[in-house]
Amino acid sequence: MTHINQAEILNHPLRVTRTRNISWAWLGVLPFFVFAIAFLILPASYLVVGSLQDTKENFTLANFADMFQPEILGAYWLSIQVSVVTAVGGGLLGFMLAYATILGGLPRWVRNALMTFSGVASNFSGVPLAFAFIATLGRTGFITALLKTAFGLNIYEYGFNLYSFLGLSLAYMYFQFPLMVLIIAPALDGIKREWREASENLGATSWQYWRYVALPILLPSLLGTMILLFGNALGAYATAFALTGGTFGLATILIGRQIRGEVLQNPGLGYAVAVGMVIIMALSVSIYSWLQRRSERWLR
Amino acid sequence: MAFLELDNVSKSFGQVEAVQNFNLQAERGEFVSFLGPSGCGKTTTLRMIAGFELPTAGTILISGNDVTFKPPQKRNTGMVFQAYALFPNMTVADNIGFGLKVAKKPSAEIKKRVAEMLALIKMEKFGDRYPYQLSGGQQQRVALARAIAIQPQVLLLDEPLSALDAKIRVALRQEIRAIQRELGITTVYVTHDQEEALSLSDRVVVMNNGCIEQVGTPFEIYNFPQTEFTAQFVGTLNRIGATVRDVANGELLIDSQRIVTAQKLEGVSNGTAVTLSIRPERISFAADGRKPNGLNVRVENITFLGSIVRVQVRAGDNVFLMDTFNNPFLKLPDIGDVVEITFSKEAVLVLKHA
Repeated sequence: MTHINQAEILNHPLRVTRTRNISWAWLGVLPFFVFAIAFLILPASYLVVGSLQDTKENFTLANFADMFQPEILGAYWLSIQVSVVTAVGGGLLGFMLAYATILGGLPRWVRNALMTFSGVASNFSGVPLAFAFIATLGRTGFITALLKTAFGLNIYEYGFNLYSFLGLSLAYMYFQFPLMVLIIAPALDGIKREWREASENLGATSWQYWRYVALPILLPSLLGTMILLFGNALGAYATAFALTGGTFGLATILIGRQIRGEVLQNPGLGYAVAVGMVIIMALSVSIYSWLQRRSERWLR
Repeated sequence: MAFLELDNVSKSFGQVEAVQNFNLQAERGEFVSFLGPSGCGKTTTLRMIAGFELPTAGTILISGNDVTFKPPQKRNTGMVFQAYALFPNMTVADNIGFGLKVAKKPSAEIKKRVAEMLALIKMEKFGDRYPYQLSGGQQQRVALARAIAIQPQVLLLDEPLSALDAKIRVALRQEIRAIQRELGITTVYVTHDQEEALSLSDRVVVMNNGCIEQVGTPFEIYNFPQTEFTAQFVGTLNRIGATVRDVANGELLIDSQRIVTAQKLEGVSNGTAVTLSIRPERISFAADGRKPNGLNVRVENITFLGSIVRVQVRAGDNVFLMDTFNNPFLKLPDIGDVVEITFSKEAVLVLKHA
């Protein structure tokens, strides 16, 4: 048996010296890291630090203890209600629209038109969206007036109020369902025609195909996207503020009030409520990612 | 009476006639292949048997029952798809038992049948796996088991091996044939691979442009092609230009050299230009033993293909190929040599539409 010592290996002429060259590709992603640090990591850290300080910058857990006040718990509850309603409503509406255009056999241009609209509408939020809704469904809005003059129907007399839970949910739906369309479209594209044919060939009815094949395959994407919509609505601030003038007690509006100093300024409490929101968002995104991975495994 | 019968079946998509006047009678337990190039209508015909497409004209009978307009669920056919089409959210066992589950069979019966099917495809230990955890060949075996678990009257296979690599393809096609023989299911197999069709089938239906070119056993299709398309599509074929010398005696001229065919010359007269077909493996060197026909040719190229050696030769304007079995003692001419080749009278076929 031949023994080769370490020195021989190191001095061997064929030994390749590997130098670690840093790829220039890192330069391409550098702006991302700078952006993420500047506008995500640092602000989040600032929030966490702020939530653990009192007004004199001393360490305290009082801000988190104060979160259990009825007003704050109520704000969370309202935010969760609006988010759930608009996530489920927007999710179902978006799914039905996407299904009709992608798997429903409609002409290709309908899909293109819906996708273009969804791309625009999913980003149309904040003050412009609130203004658009006030201009159409406000007390003197265009649609309100049209319904009143053309059909004698005053929607406000029937209990509709744009500046209420229903009105706010309606405004949120405007950007929620297009987001659903955009995210669920690839999952629907992944549904193969052969699955339906195979199930029919094996004797399954359309209901059985949906019950046992299509729905279970789509469910992770469907739920995952709804969770994303939930997070999307939970973090929304400008639309609600502009529409209701800050009178609607959502968690985001409460945070704004605490930090800006209206009525009673307590930035530390505002930061703590914001940290709570960040945790809910992080949980939502984690569940979404897990469900997406599960779905992708099936659809690849 | 035939078990599966297609009577004058046609299918049009708008102005395109995908299948025209398709007639087939398959006996119970027979293995029939539809062979043809892409777009020839073979898959459309299969999908009409399955019920995924409705014929524009004609009738389809299974075991004497008219199923032409019945939905796929009511036909009791089992189909295996090119891309497997396994349900990704179900385990192998659930996939195989799906047809029985939707038929509301008792769970004990489903379990027993699934176990039988897993044993049949030799995948007893894979019941709990998901499709994404299987190789392509394994997925296709599961798809086959799923299709036959419902005990279909007719098994339909749509290019089931085309997505697999060569070795697995050969192994799996033997497995499919063995299972089909064991169960005695009437089977229709769609393929564009002539080797697959010839090695598997009791009968082959050669299709082109939506029409049947020829129906016959693999032996008939290969050795006695009735149309130029069949002759060209199935196997390697030499197409040789010739002139009729003597109709009565079957004499022809290739590059002024006289040869004879055993085929009766019809619809031609002396001096008519015709196209002949001769399979490469039916030609040999005269030095190895002379047959009735001989031609002097120049060797242009020699290619080793493993078990055979392919020699390209020229006689006037005609270039053709001859195959000879490889062996370590084989003596081959050099490129540029003039040699005499020989073939039987029966090897020379005069093609229709020449």
